[in-house]
Amino acid sequence: MNLLIFTPVNANSSIGGVTALVVHELIAQGCHVVVVSTESRDLIIAQCHNFATWILPWDDELVIRSLIQSADACIYQIGNHFAYHEGALRWLFEFPGLICLHDFYLGHLFASWAELNRVHADFILDQWYGSELARQFFTYSDSQSFIHATSQLMPMTEWVCAKADAVITHSQWGCGRVLKACPGPVLVVPLPPDAIIYPIGIGGSEGRTLNILAIGHVNPNKRVEDLLEAIGASQSLRERAILRLIGHIEPAVRQSLMVLASGLGVNLVIEGVVDENNLIKAIEQCDVVSCLRLPVLEAASGAVVKAMLYGKAVIVANAGFYAELPNSCAVKIDPDINNLQLSSALEDLLNDKAKVRRMGAEARRWASETFTSKHYAHQLIALVARMHSVIPINRALVNICLMYRHWSPVRAFLDSPEIMHPLRIFDITGKDI
Amino acid sequence: MKIALCSSYVPFIKGGARNIVEWLELMLQEQGHHVERIYLPQVDTPDLLFQQMFALRWIDLSMADRIICFRPQAHLIPHSHKILWFIHHIRSFYDLWHTPYRGFQDDYKISGFRDALHHVDDVGLREAKSIFTNSRVVAERLKTYNRIESEVLYPPILHPERFHSAGFNDEIVCICRLEHHKRQHLLIEALRSTKTPVNLSLFGVSSSSEYLHSLVDLISELGLASRVRLDNQWISEEEKVSRLSSCLAAAYLPVNEDSYGYPCLEASHSAKPILTTTDSGGVLELVDDGVNGYVVEPTPLALADAMDRLYLDRARTVAMGTQASEKISAMRISWPHVMQRLLQ
Amino acid sequence: MKVLVVNNMAPFVWGGAEELAMHLQSNLIISGHQAEILRIPFQWEPSRRIPSQMLMVRALEVANVDHVIALKFPAYLLRHPRKTLWLLHQYRQAYDLFDAGQTNLPTGSAGHELQSVIRHGDLQAFSESAKIYTNSEVTRKRLRKYNGFDSEVLLPPVNDPQLFPGGIAGDYIFAGGRVNGLKRQYLLLEALALADQRVRLLIAGPPDSPEDALRLQELVERLDLVDRVKLDLRFLPRAVYASYLNQCAAVAYLPYDEDSLGYVAMEAATAAKALITTADSGGILGLVKHQETGWVAQVNPEDLAMAMNAVYTCSEQTSCYGQSARILWESMNINWPETINSLLQ
Repeated sequence: MNLLIFTPVNANSSIGGVTALVVHELIAQGCHVVVVSTESRDLIIAQCHNFATWILPWDDELVIRSLIQSADACIYQIGNHFAYHEGALRWLFEFPGLICLHDFYLGHLFASWAELNRVHADFILDQWYGSELARQFFTYSDSQSFIHATSQLMPMTEWVCAKADAVITHSQWGCGRVLKACPGPVLVVPLPPDAIIYPIGIGGSEGRTLNILAIGHVNPNKRVEDLLEAIGASQSLRERAILRLIGHIEPAVRQSLMVLASGLGVNLVIEGVVDENNLIKAIEQCDVVSCLRLPVLEAASGAVVKAMLYGKAVIVANAGFYAELPNSCAVKIDPDINNLQLSSALEDLLNDKAKVRRMGAEARRWASETFTSKHYAHQLIALVARMHSVIPINRALVNICLMYRHWSPVRAFLDSPEIMHPLRIFDITGKDI
Repeated sequence: MKIALCSSYVPFIKGGARNIVEWLELMLQEQGHHVERIYLPQVDTPDLLFQQMFALRWIDLSMADRIICFRPQAHLIPHSHKILWFIHHIRSFYDLWHTPYRGFQDDYKISGFRDALHHVDDVGLREAKSIFTNSRVVAERLKTYNRIESEVLYPPILHPERFHSAGFNDEIVCICRLEHHKRQHLLIEALRSTKTPVNLSLFGVSSSSEYLHSLVDLISELGLASRVRLDNQWISEEEKVSRLSSCLAAAYLPVNEDSYGYPCLEASHSAKPILTTTDSGGVLELVDDGVNGYVVEPTPLALADAMDRLYLDRARTVAMGTQASEKISAMRISWPHVMQRLLQ
Repeated sequence: MKVLVVNNMAPFVWGGAEELAMHLQSNLIISGHQAEILRIPFQWEPSRRIPSQMLMVRALEVANVDHVIALKFPAYLLRHPRKTLWLLHQYRQAYDLFDAGQTNLPTGSAGHELQSVIRHGDLQAFSESAKIYTNSEVTRKRLRKYNGFDSEVLLPPVNDPQLFPGGIAGDYIFAGGRVNGLKRQYLLLEALALADQRVRLLIAGPPDSPEDALRLQELVERLDLVDRVKLDLRFLPRAVYASYLNQCAAVAYLPYDEDSLGYVAMEAATAAKALITTADSGGILGLVKHQETGWVAQVNPEDLAMAMNAVYTCSEQTSCYGQSARILWESMNINWPETINSLLQ
């Protein structure tokens, strides 16, 4: 497989570091790889990561263009920092490819890009978020309020993912927007841990308490409620267990869960959205991580894998990817949640903290052997192959949309059952183009 | 019934199942049906094919009672009562994929396209109420690649009653296009090794003047001008009927063809045995060695031997001719059968 | 050159446009080109399926063709670098028939959306065509009015003019062509009932439906015209049609607002027969000049009866009108070699 990889190469770029590891693996697995450095011209690169192959500057138009023709895929590493990813954007918008998405939030990337592409930027904002929000995007006076306003409502994930033939993200978090925008397959593959520094100790709570952490978008499904009910059903759990929730939560849901917890006598702490550092602290401090929603995507949930890499046992639904986790580090609950089973499992953990720590250690060992750069490279290659069976259909659809655009807004095309229904045999799901 | 016959084509290029479609149209009309023939242009390149397949999905033929689809990708046209008389896949991406004839280099893009094409064919083919093929070879391919069962429905000739036997002379005829893969050169080489005064008559047009000249040169080189007749022009139906009616036997030995080919059928209707080779492919669905013809190794000596046997053992030759004629009904190669299967 | 004539196909329907396409093809071949006809299926009912069928045409790929001649919506949406339009039909239900409330497009925003899609499609097809011809003045005007495009009128020639030498006038007025409500043969019968006794009528041609035939038959009965009218309601063999035309006294053709001249009118003029039509018949008025090449009557039986009477009043004058009709027709220089030249320039 011939791969052209667009990435920062700077020694101080962690994305560059991870990519270098993956490139080594790709080459070991038989790929021919050429690297294109994507840093802005005025960013001085003192030292580069070692990619073990050619590195070309992104502005060498002729050479890059010809390499693109002969590549089986262009792989774009995308993060929020424009100075590191300017080159990737330049080529991505002309030649769609596979995106490795390092940040779901791309507000800063977009804002910098918009400086030279304002008209186009306004159009993009309008297209994805509507005129009301679009108007506000460039009006924030300070960085804090900008982040606060845009991260929820205008994260700009769609802008980039719409240009992808496939996306690899590293956790499930924020995947909704990726799925909505990307016309091709989306895969969650946890980043190889080699570059991530893990605390040496295992952490966890002191004494007889059981600190349960649940990570992820808390939508009104019954899983958190099941946890609350399970804890509430046992006196020892009520007295000694704490359930901590981290992740986006609607005010109404927050309210109803607090009320429920209060009624059940359960110790519930709702943190809402936190940044990466606080997330890591929370994981360190907890005893066990719960991720009881059934998996949405076929590959690993980044949060669960992260938890395991940090040496925490996990509580999961016994389905999909999770069913394959070793029983030595995962507590599996039947998908049709049986609160009695859950309550009993939690009590077991509560009463045997040593076992909890052992499971955590096992989780770390297993995860760090499984989620390697080798695994990542392998998944990437498989995704490229798979992507190519979707591209012909997506290209055809784009061509047809371009034809239709002369006659009517493209929205009408996608909303017309007469047009879309017969195309179902191509597995098209009516995503935004 | 209102029936639409649907197929793909390239403007100004003849051939490719046009006879099957157009003769069926005539026969259906004779039976009182209303028939519409729909040929849609198609370019078989990976970068354009899916867009054209989308187009097929938007065709509205709901006013037809049923549609019958022939060449790919016509089988994707939607209809509540769709019947396929499947002639072949887009072969580059199916049975020719692992051969030098694929025509595309093997890279991930083309492989991905091939996967996508297989997937949509798997789904689209299954929309049909019934699937017929024109030979066992094609039926096998549908089974192998799309895991789908089909019924073999052999295409008959138009007005087969025109053909008859009026005796057996010394001439082996070969009436088909003069092309390298039809191997008229092999017949000429074979004639040189015959021991009897059997003759050879070749009729047909050629798309390649190169091959034509090579045949002319070969005849001259081997000193066979007096025994080989090479008639490089389009033969009329009347003359074809006449030649077949008086010949000793018909020869037809294409390389690994998909189906038996009309020349075999015409010979069988004329009650003449067929000379062919072990590697002629679909022809072997019709010809059994020693029963209605000879099937020999594709070498000049083996063919020469068979030609001599045809000449010497006349009684056998005549008997095989009769068998050839009877084989047609045994295999149910007839328009009544076709109509019955398609319209049930 | 390899020329592809592109037309719609309303499955299982065969009409004037199909005939024209066939004659265009044979005459292209006579002129030394290779020519084939591509017929693209098109169903306009229900109207919500129109955009997808437009896309179908647009998405087709045509290889191995040097020049395309397209005749109708949506066939003319086919993509090709050298495309000439010979507009027989726009989708009138998005234009003048829409305005007149005689459309199959729905009311409200759905209908307006459809109309917009069709108009934009047309705009694109017209913009990308090398040249646009229409088959009648009426069509030309409509194109200008609704789409803002200029075009040249290119009238389709008579396909076999040698069959219409004319001849001695018989005692009947001939009404040929398809029989249906829009062609208004019934009006002729109503007029006949008011006309002089000596006026005779021959209505011959294929009825669109059994009801259309029945309507005329009943009318003949009711108005007691049995001995003055002959009805030959079927698809006529060409020779029969020709003899009906060549031996008549005059030809009557009075469709409602038809786009084109009408073959009946052109063939009549070829045979030097005077023409009777009505004021709202549309394209045919290009050939029928009142009291020069025939009569243009008001749309009522009385006026029509007067025109029919006039045929018999002075046979010389009638014959004269017929000659004038032929001269007018020939001055239009409408023949196949000229037509093909225009289409392929």
